[in-house]
Amino acid sequence: MVLSQRIHEAFKGTVERITGPRTVSAFKEKGVLSVTEFVVAGDNLVSKCPTWSWESGEPNKRKPYLPLEKQFLITRNGKRHRCGLALLLLVINLPDQFIHVPCLRRAASVEEEYEAAGGEVLLDSEDNGGWLATHGMPKENKRDDDDDLPSMETLEISQTKPIQSIPTYFGGEEEEDIPDMAEYDEPDNLIEMDPATLQSTYLVAHEPDEDNILRTRTYDVSITYDKYYQTPRVWLTGYDESKMLLRPELVLEDVSQDHAHKTVTIEDHPHLPGKHASVHPCKHGAVMKKIIDVLMSHGVEPEVDKYLFLFLKFVASVIPTIEYDYTMDFDVGSSSNR
Amino acid sequence: MAGHDGGSILVFAQFQSAVDEGFWHRLSSLKLNKLGIDDSPIPITGFYAPCSHPQVSNHLTLLAQSLPSELSEQSSAADIIRGNRNRCPIQGILYNTNTIESFHLLDKKSLLNAEAMKIWEDIHIGKAVEDSSLLSRFLLISFADLKKWTFHYWFAFPALVLDPPATLVDLRRASQYFTLDEAESVSAACNEWRNSSLTADVPFFLVSVDPTSHATIKHLKDWETCQSNGEKLLFGFYDPCHLPNNPGWPLRNFLALISVRWNLKSVRFLCYRENRGFADLELSLVGEALITVPQGWRDHQCLPNAVGWEHNKGRQVPRSISLAKSMDPTRLAISAA
Repeated sequence: MVLSQRIHEAFKGTVERITGPRTVSAFKEKGVLSVTEFVVAGDNLVSKCPTWSWESGEPNKRKPYLPLEKQFLITRNGKRHRCGLALLLLVINLPDQFIHVPCLRRAASVEEEYEAAGGEVLLDSEDNGGWLATHGMPKENKRDDDDDLPSMETLEISQTKPIQSIPTYFGGEEEEDIPDMAEYDEPDNLIEMDPATLQSTYLVAHEPDEDNILRTRTYDVSITYDKYYQTPRVWLTGYDESKMLLRPELVLEDVSQDHAHKTVTIEDHPHLPGKHASVHPCKHGAVMKKIIDVLMSHGVEPEVDKYLFLFLKFVASVIPTIEYDYTMDFDVGSSSNR
Repeated sequence: MAGHDGGSILVFAQFQSAVDEGFWHRLSSLKLNKLGIDDSPIPITGFYAPCSHPQVSNHLTLLAQSLPSELSEQSSAADIIRGNRNRCPIQGILYNTNTIESFHLLDKKSLLNAEAMKIWEDIHIGKAVEDSSLLSRFLLISFADLKKWTFHYWFAFPALVLDPPATLVDLRRASQYFTLDEAESVSAACNEWRNSSLTADVPFFLVSVDPTSHATIKHLKDWETCQSNGEKLLFGFYDPCHLPNNPGWPLRNFLALISVRWNLKSVRFLCYRENRGFADLELSLVGEALITVPQGWRDHQCLPNAVGWEHNKGRQVPRSISLAKSMDPTRLAISAA
């Protein structure tokens, strides 16, 4: 208790020193967030999208500059689409979209394009009255009728992958010394006969088009504050369809293939035990700056507490198959055309 | 919905477990640094929330915080109890054995019955009315092979069996059951319940709808006050299940409570489900179940049969997981330094 109060006071002291116009302008000038702004934006995300919560994480990993009970944000049980078509629909069907950031062509192109910071950002204000910020649509994509479809590559990859190849969780087939518990004879031969128990609960999702079974992975998505890059950072923890932990490498299957191993890497989580897949934050500031510039060029003054909505929308282009909540049915900025 | 002519057996979708990596990390360090060969049962806390997606059930999640902390059990207990809307705490117990043989030799039937007995007790003495989360106690048995960083485990979600089973006379989307005005008021009341830090993690509740279509959510202990005429009364619970034709597991012990405490034969229940964190009456279900009170059911001493060992891919077998890659001791040593 005493310690937590001390930490909290240390935090408050820090907050007081870093608040003010300077950090506000850093948000618009560099696309970065101060610790305070991260907390403000996180509070707003939690209140608008209640599936997100603040958590305190591992006690020995606590960051003194963040409030004890607001170390990072997490949403559990996000759904992952096995089926490629679903992921396309995900991106297109977002309600009340203000900004689309379609699936970026490849990781390298994110970096190059943002470094170049050239005229690739196109705008389409006819789209539901919203903006379309895109980054040079891939040439091969011309088969798409709809310009804001993400890269078809992701689709093709997930279609060629056989659905049943999911010996996937930790200790799957590659580690042969793991005994298959199903092989053991249960000494007491436990079989519960009960007519009131539904027998097939492991078929967790039903879709008409996949032999009635959609192998459903779910994800815990967390957002931490990266002090070095002064931006939020996204982490993914995957579970297979029977809710067993996925090895982080298998998480990469759900990442846009252009980003796997490049922008998405596997590292120690700053607040949780173990290795997790993470979208590397080195370009986040530049990307966010770009998005903010687009908004401002249209007379929208972005507000810092909306940062995470814009951020998550951008991240959705890197992990297009993972569904989490960042619905934004309100204005991004103070002077937008509502 | 499937045709329920004369009423069919009410069939419940089982709870599903999900164990966060942090749980196994903390269990390992507890075992190595504190417990040693002590294999006495450990109280743990699981977390769940209403289903929040039309295609995915929610599950009972174990996190690092589910276990007592190595350093001070007292202060961590306070941490655990504080849930939030996405983490409703539920009490459980962990039997972690020292060998794989003793894991297999555990008397699963008795262990399950022992937990079911606690639920039965709490129903009879009224504790479950005060703290409804006690209706969803769970049990975990495990063997942590710390040489190979492999964990063998099996969950049970004890459910008191109604014999004969409850029958279903009606089950439909909540949006079809309520009038438009009622639905609006129910949604608003549920959202308010979920947004208040006082009630967000209270998983069982009463929904009362008055003749002017105004809905209120109340604690179970206020049941007596909901008996005025003209009000629709529903027994609501956070339903982790997403299926359109089956209520989730927590309803089972809830029906037992309703039958034992209030002696109701016909129960109208609300499977409360959300979408994106808000009440979703398209996803939520309203059903009516008929309970035939089993023989001896009112007798405190007479423990009903209990079921609930988790199914793994349709079979009742344990699970195992290897965390060798993320629990390499040299890495742990570095991070502990």
